[in-house]
Amino acid sequence: MIDFLDAIRFDMIWNYKELFIRGLWITLSLTAVGYVGGIILGLFLGIGKLSKIKWIYYPAKYYVDFFRGTPLLVQILLIHLAVIPSIFGHSLGYFVSGATALMLNCAAYNAEIIRAGIQSIEKGQMEAARSLGMPQGEAMRFIILPQAFRRMIPPLGNELIALLKDSSLVTVIAANDLLYAGKVVAGAYARFWEPYITVAILYLLLTWVFTKVIAYVERRYSNSYIPSQRRRIFSFGRASAGG
Amino acid sequence: MRNLKKYWSVAFLCLTLGLVLAACGSSTGSDSSGDKLVVATDATYAPMEYMDDNGNIVGIDIDIVDAIAEAAGFEVEYKNYGWEPLFAAVENGEVDFAVSSITITDDRKESFDFTDPYFVANQVILVPADSDVESFEDLKDKRVSVQINTTGHEVVKGLLGNTSSDIVATETMPLAITEMLNGNADASVGDNSVVLEYVKNNPDVELKTIEDDSFEKEFYGLMVQKGNSEILDLLNEGIQKIKEDGTLKELTGIDIE
Repeated sequence: MIDFLDAIRFDMIWNYKELFIRGLWITLSLTAVGYVGGIILGLFLGIGKLSKIKWIYYPAKYYVDFFRGTPLLVQILLIHLAVIPSIFGHSLGYFVSGATALMLNCAAYNAEIIRAGIQSIEKGQMEAARSLGMPQGEAMRFIILPQAFRRMIPPLGNELIALLKDSSLVTVIAANDLLYAGKVVAGAYARFWEPYITVAILYLLLTWVFTKVIAYVERRYSNSYIPSQRRRIFSFGRASAGG
Repeated sequence: MRNLKKYWSVAFLCLTLGLVLAACGSSTGSDSSGDKLVVATDATYAPMEYMDDNGNIVGIDIDIVDAIAEAAGFEVEYKNYGWEPLFAAVENGEVDFAVSSITITDDRKESFDFTDPYFVANQVILVPADSDVESFEDLKDKRVSVQINTTGHEVVKGLLGNTSSDIVATETMPLAITEMLNGNADASVGDNSVVLEYVKNNPDVELKTIEDDSFEKEFYGLMVQKGNSEILDLLNEGIQKIKEDGTLKELTGIDIE
């Protein structure tokens, strides 16, 4: 510890700054693609798990069981080294493999969040919608999901942060993510404090930004949200009526 | 009743903490007692060091260290640490020394001490049989796969740039070769022993190896904590002995001065 404080060499990080910048970019892109894909796929899987039709329910259930029951690291290696080369005859690069693995894994967790969110809405809501003549699908889209979404925000935010951190696992398939940059610098200088503490701080920075965004979204969709003129930073010059 | 519960949780905490500390104590105790030296290695580097069918750590490096231990009169115990952790393990004295085809470089000498070299290696380029690559220079506009933070990685960084995205740096050499076969890289660069072993074990895969004179010869040494001259001298004595009686040449097939 004392040795470390004596001679911190941050020039070694500076020499490899491009690797860290690319790492930030790749980590963010992988997380974004994985998360958006995961939410869309998870929505179908979550609704599938609520279905009374057996050939919809069981595939969704077994999908979630598999992807939630096996380590993400194993899934990444399996997809990159076995599944994709077998299907396409050659690899499609680390980004496709990594994003696919993160997306499939994230979808399994999101499916459970979405299923639980939908189930938490009282039965009466669906019954009321149906009695007003809404078909099942429409009632789900316009009545149930908007209400359920509000309850899903905190766990979905959790999932986003977890996914961001889990994306560091793709470094095993030589993806140039943030951790990879740290590993290369650690190897080049055989010093471990500077590169890994830099990587940790950068991850912390990213999760901090995400936490702020999630907190904003949660506030925005909360029951007690009162739109006020000052807070409207996303209204883009739309003339506000009344006020 | 509530008080009782509180005491239970405190007692449990103490018990857990005690167990953890006891575990720490016993493990450090066994390290310092006895004259068995603990050796760190990364057993994923056939034929130099790897796991056999029974999970034993074997290979050319291991045979050499066994011979050194016999010649210098000590016992060794191998522990599989992985490539990067073994540097930290040697640095903080967790193990006595490391054998893992570690090339002696000036950079590494800054942080560690090395024994006399016991093996000479050089880098080779591995490409698909129909590739037009003929020398190291031809790799300039190609994607190259290497094992992360090995000498192969270093030389490729020298050619393509330290932060190039055309370098595919994987965890192990077989993975680097697989990346090339899967089309993620045009060539692999690695140590002669490992690359030639791969070619030997996979005769069906159409590959060719290219030697290039621009690669410097590399000398492998045993890596010791900086300043630990006691173990360094002991190992050097053993290496000297097996060099003189010809055991080293028998094991590696290479004469070394």
